[in-house]
Amino acid sequence: MSDAATQGYYTAEEAEAVFQQANDAYGREDYATAQAHYEKLIAHGFGGPDVLYNLGTTHLARGDLGRAVLALEQARKQGGRASDLEANLSLARARQVDKVVGAAADEAFLPRLAAATDGAAVAWVFFVAWLVGFALLLFRRVFPSLRRTAVAVVAGLCLTAAVPAVLLLGAHIWVHQNVHEAVVLSPTLVARELPRSEGRSLFEVHAGLKVQLLEETGKYVRIRLPNGLEGWAERDGVAEI
Amino acid sequence: MRRTGSGRTALLAVLALLATAPAWAADIEFYQTVDRTEVGTDDTFKLTVVVVDAPSNAQVRLPESNDFEVLSSSRGSQRSISLSGGGPAVIQDITRHELLMRPLRAGKLTIPPATLTAGGRTYRTDAVQLTVREGHASGAPQAQQGGRNALPDPFRNFRNMPDPFGGDDSDMEADEPVIPRGDSDLFLRASLDRDDLYVGEQATLSLYIYSRVDLSSVDAVTMPKLEGFWTEEVESPTQLTGEQKVVDGIPYRAYLLRRRALFPVKSGTLLITPAEADITTGFLFAGHRVHRVSNGLKVKVRPLPSGAPPNMSNANVGSWRMSLDVSQTRVELGQPITVKVILEGQGNVKNVTPPKLTGPASLKIYEPTTTDRLMPNRNRIQGRRVVEYLVMPQRTGTFTLPELRFPYFDPSRRQYETARTDPVTITVEAGAGGVSSLPSTMTPSQVADAANEQKNVLTTGGLRPVRAQAHFVGPSQPVWMRPFFVVGVLAPLGLLAGVAFVGGMRGRLATRSEAGRGRQQAKAARKRLAEAEKLKAGADAGAFYVEVEKAMVGFLEAQLGFPVGGLTREALGEKLAAAGVDAERRARVLFVLEACDLGRYGGGVEPGERRKVLATAAAVMEGWAA
Repeated sequence: MSDAATQGYYTAEEAEAVFQQANDAYGREDYATAQAHYEKLIAHGFGGPDVLYNLGTTHLARGDLGRAVLALEQARKQGGRASDLEANLSLARARQVDKVVGAAADEAFLPRLAAATDGAAVAWVFFVAWLVGFALLLFRRVFPSLRRTAVAVVAGLCLTAAVPAVLLLGAHIWVHQNVHEAVVLSPTLVARELPRSEGRSLFEVHAGLKVQLLEETGKYVRIRLPNGLEGWAERDGVAEI
Repeated sequence: MRRTGSGRTALLAVLALLATAPAWAADIEFYQTVDRTEVGTDDTFKLTVVVVDAPSNAQVRLPESNDFEVLSSSRGSQRSISLSGGGPAVIQDITRHELLMRPLRAGKLTIPPATLTAGGRTYRTDAVQLTVREGHASGAPQAQQGGRNALPDPFRNFRNMPDPFGGDDSDMEADEPVIPRGDSDLFLRASLDRDDLYVGEQATLSLYIYSRVDLSSVDAVTMPKLEGFWTEEVESPTQLTGEQKVVDGIPYRAYLLRRRALFPVKSGTLLITPAEADITTGFLFAGHRVHRVSNGLKVKVRPLPSGAPPNMSNANVGSWRMSLDVSQTRVELGQPITVKVILEGQGNVKNVTPPKLTGPASLKIYEPTTTDRLMPNRNRIQGRRVVEYLVMPQRTGTFTLPELRFPYFDPSRRQYETARTDPVTITVEAGAGGVSSLPSTMTPSQVADAANEQKNVLTTGGLRPVRAQAHFVGPSQPVWMRPFFVVGVLAPLGLLAGVAFVGGMRGRLATRSEAGRGRQQAKAARKRLAEAEKLKAGADAGAFYVEVEKAMVGFLEAQLGFPVGGLTREALGEKLAAAGVDAERRARVLFVLEACDLGRYGGGVEPGERRKVLATAAAVMEGWAA
């Protein structure tokens, strides 16, 4: 358990008890109670992919497609892929109203690269290679008589490995800063040509659809669908993953 | 002598006279009513004694009692003559006696009957029971009749009386019929028991024929257009059955044609168009057909008040109970279960929709069938709607049909209520199979399904279960945004930069000390040369040359960076050459040093010689310095 989870509203035992209560409520098909417990855990710093997965599954059982996809995508973002998570996400997508038709717009290289790799792992690889490489160089200078060549070779390998790692890490940082994915929560969300209520309606999307947020103006955000369709929608109708 | 014809003619003449003469109603009607049945000792009430078609010599004796005092009395008479359809004119005399009375004590009191003596006969009304309380009694007046329980008070338009059209239904209140001017003997009357109600609440429309003539038949009835209403038939008599009603003191026979329940489906002011009917009056060849049009009506329909549960239909109005009837809660796999969702109560039974039965995926729920049973009571639509589901278990285990909720608006309480059922637990066991006990209501396809579904169906797909264990993770930033990461990445670079900086500084410091030393030595040499200049005119030539030599040696050491004191002239020359000093300057250096050697040992005493040595030494330093 992280440090954040060990301090604050619940003790670890209390959090575990709340989690089990939520699971019991889910078992009784008392989805409202289960949802309330899961959300309480997350609100008090006891989240994580497991709690998010259970919350998403509960939303899905209740028929709240938007929040189900949101929680499951957040679980995947935090904890990576898992078979049960992918299965329930597939089920949620199958229930979606929207079917995005047309050739998918070419997704930029960096987002695809970031999606294919684990940002935290990349960061740790770079961090370790970087520090070890420099530490060996320092060692070689301080102790010039001890295996200078071997130390130099290992240091060079570490620093060489740090180069692609730092490039990959840069891609993750760029995606983190510039690419914002969201899920439609409203049952029906109108995408308009301009960020105004009187703007011409371009298309409608429905709960559960995953979109990309491009920019924000007032209470409107510009969304982009996987096939490249873009429009301005009300900010409250979507939630960022 | 035989009389022929005269007797028959006289008889026909008498009959004709009788036929055209006004017809007096044969029956005497005699009754009494009070405007309220519950009064206080400080209240007054009105007793009305009505006499219809009594002979002129009839004697009316009003009731007398020691329990009441009569505060005032009045008497009024009215005669009505109606001509219709070629029949004889009907004349009716109505006399009413009104007594304003006050009870003298509390308790259950009785107003004794009034009596009427006419033609040797004595008629009596019924006694009237009153409940008398101390002080003032609360509540609206309620009438009670004595002598004619079935008939309303003809003067009820002066008081707040119950609806005469509602029979014994106290819920119904109809507006006062208005006798049309042109068709006063036969008119069509539409009335509503209420004209201000909520969406989905029932109003009852009654269509009556008011007639003072004999009716033969009603040939056609065109009901009003009822746009904005859901309607249900309450009463549609197949035979004309009249009842006595008095309108504005005029007795009529009222025939109910139709009675319908109206459930408005939208709010606003809704109009009910007039009804029409073709009516045949009289008998046989004397009858003729007339067309009558009723009055139109308006209904003010209020929307349901705010605070309705989400997704509640406007039709969910009334008073409802809901129950769940499950044929069995323990079944074998492959055996169906019949689940009935029963909604019963008062309201628009056919328009309410009970909540849909849901259940886990392990219980396959077929499309239901719906049956309605209406049981109107006191002109109110009530009954039950049964939605029957066939549930087919797909797996063994224990499953729960969740509770059902049916929100509705109760207009009598003016608030929203929720009817609900309890959850039902169903246990499905693995059995020997067999479809012998299938209900007869199953369709062949359902029977086929039942035969095919005796297996514990374990399919993939569906919602994956929740995770039993959780690894809690608090909200955190990405690794690269944490402080330690930034420090760790920048630390080696900082270290490298620090080392480079320190090395540079050390080099610069080292360089700076040698040059400075050289400059200091050169400065000292110039200073010493300046001292020697002071000695050039002195008597001690040796001291002059010593100073000049020291100045030159110090200068050379400062410029060359190594000691030159022990060097021979040749070695010094080579060093100077190696240091890049040109030949002229080398010659000058050697000249000065040679002159100094000579001067120290007695030579060069001439002032001119000293000046030359001093100038040469200065030239060596200046040039070098430049």
